[in-house]
Amino acid sequence: MNLHLIDYIIIALYFLFVVSIGIVLKRKIKTGNDFLMSNRSIPLWITSLAFISANLGAQEVLGMAASGAKYGMYTTHFYWLGAAFAMVFLGIFMMPFYYGSKARSVPEYLKLRFDEKTRTFNALSFAVMTVFSSGISLYALAMLMQTVLAWNFDVSIWLAAGIVLAYIYLGGLTSAVYNEVLQFFLIVLGIAPLVYIGLQKAGGWQGLVHNVDNAKLHLWKGMGSAATNPMGVDAFSLVFGLGFVLAFGYWCTDFLVVQRAMISKNLNAARRTPIIATVPKIMMPLVVILPGIVLLALQNQFSGFDLPKNMNGDTDYNMTLPLLLQKLYPNGILGVGITALIASFMSGMAGNVTAFNTVWTYDIYQSHIKRSASDKHYLNVGRATTVFGILLSILTAYVARGFNSIMDLLQLVFSFVNAPLFATFFLGMFWKKTTANGAFWGLLSGTTAAAITHGLTTAEGKGGWITNIHTFYSGTSQAFNIAGIAFIVCFIVTALISTMTEKKRENELVGLVYSLTPKQKDSAKVWYKNPLWLGVIMLVVTVILNIIFY
Amino acid sequence: MNKLFDLRFVIGSFFLLVGILLLGYSFLSADTVLSMHTINRWCGIFFIVFGIIMIVLSLQKDADDELLEEKK
Repeated sequence: MNLHLIDYIIIALYFLFVVSIGIVLKRKIKTGNDFLMSNRSIPLWITSLAFISANLGAQEVLGMAASGAKYGMYTTHFYWLGAAFAMVFLGIFMMPFYYGSKARSVPEYLKLRFDEKTRTFNALSFAVMTVFSSGISLYALAMLMQTVLAWNFDVSIWLAAGIVLAYIYLGGLTSAVYNEVLQFFLIVLGIAPLVYIGLQKAGGWQGLVHNVDNAKLHLWKGMGSAATNPMGVDAFSLVFGLGFVLAFGYWCTDFLVVQRAMISKNLNAARRTPIIATVPKIMMPLVVILPGIVLLALQNQFSGFDLPKNMNGDTDYNMTLPLLLQKLYPNGILGVGITALIASFMSGMAGNVTAFNTVWTYDIYQSHIKRSASDKHYLNVGRATTVFGILLSILTAYVARGFNSIMDLLQLVFSFVNAPLFATFFLGMFWKKTTANGAFWGLLSGTTAAAITHGLTTAEGKGGWITNIHTFYSGTSQAFNIAGIAFIVCFIVTALISTMTEKKRENELVGLVYSLTPKQKDSAKVWYKNPLWLGVIMLVVTVILNIIFY
Repeated sequence: MNKLFDLRFVIGSFFLLVGILLLGYSFLSADTVLSMHTINRWCGIFFIVFGIIMIVLSLQKDADDELLEEKK
């Protein structure tokens, strides 16, 4: 792919704007609260778009296009089954506890609801995971730039990390959130023309229907058995494993996204943030999944659209989007497309670094190292943590380059830690008898159950490191089932231990548990200001989309 | 200065500039095939319109704020 001067000018302009946002916002950052929590003053439309954009990292943009080419429309389940329902649930039922409890982070909510050890377990695992994810994002960016544009690996890493560091160090979370919104528009407007041009070339929707395997143009057809759909997943694993456990676990408990709602101006805005974010989320498959399906149609009609092979000799689906950019975009708009890709990597990295900042400063440093210090001190710690977090990300990126298998292993271990998390929050928020010991041991048991299930099963040659008692049709199916089992084990162990251990007094749980908290009356008469009405509308639209593309 | 804190103004300015660059480039790059001109031209026009709308929205907010101040 050859970039011209015009493309480089557009990329440079983007870099200039993101750093300028940090510079302009610097004068607004006066306290630790400003830097780490945006002083809870961000308007609703910005928090809603940032909520989506914090998740719109490289895995989303490149990964979903790749998945679109591999599994077709079944990939849409991550949006129309997974995300939409979980985001509405977060807005209607869970935000009142996060926002209303005045917790500054998700781990801090766990401290208020349970105890310090549950908070620390969650904070430490989250902090390590965010730095790791940020480093992986950086590594993927540098590898892509090296492969597609022949840019130097080191230059890509240090340039991208330096720019993210500059705008977060200067403007804190507000700067990251503002840039996420700019990145959102850039990604959508930079990739949407590609979909339009690709669709035109492929012969429109009819062209897709005639040139793509019919099995890849449905959402639910063939879901009766894992053997009869491209994803290799059965309906129960999909609905329970993805739709309930993984999606609710991610969207309702991951501080990276929940933080964007927690910095809203008031509780009503915090509740509406994830629900309004559902609108762009359910439209997102048009931009991130459709390119993969368009590529399938183009491969059937034209030469030159075949995907390259990776080092293992398998088709490299991750090159779906770069290949389409190369084939369909002329210089000029190509610069916008490449900038959109860079923006997605930087957005993912910045989201992780800002969440790491807050959790490290409030849940680890303030909680265990220096409890009572001045606000200025925590502001400085927040800034120092930004530098430290970025340096750790760079180190992770270089480790990933040299030892890819270690990175795969770490990613697997983190998925075990995440799998049971929603059971802990669900019981904690909706069952007042859940105890701190129940939550802690439930989390540990769920994580262990996830690891053991992986050790006892195989899929696509992975897992089975204890012995193999079951083989799944696909790695996706294995991941969904591991999550399901981890959730069930965590749920049962938490409930059992809770019945045997000491409970908190009910007056300590007001504002933290559903049955002991005054119910939120959604009294706003205008539908778009009422979280409940908004949520119901979003769910109806999502169900209709599922029916249309059955 | 307040305008600089309005994100719509920032986003609008960015897309306005990118749109002008794309539109200008579509006229200058005469050696490319016709369809290439068209893509850059239409995207350029769309970005310019989008950028102007965002800037107008950010200015509109300022006008509303002034009105509110006067009422107070």
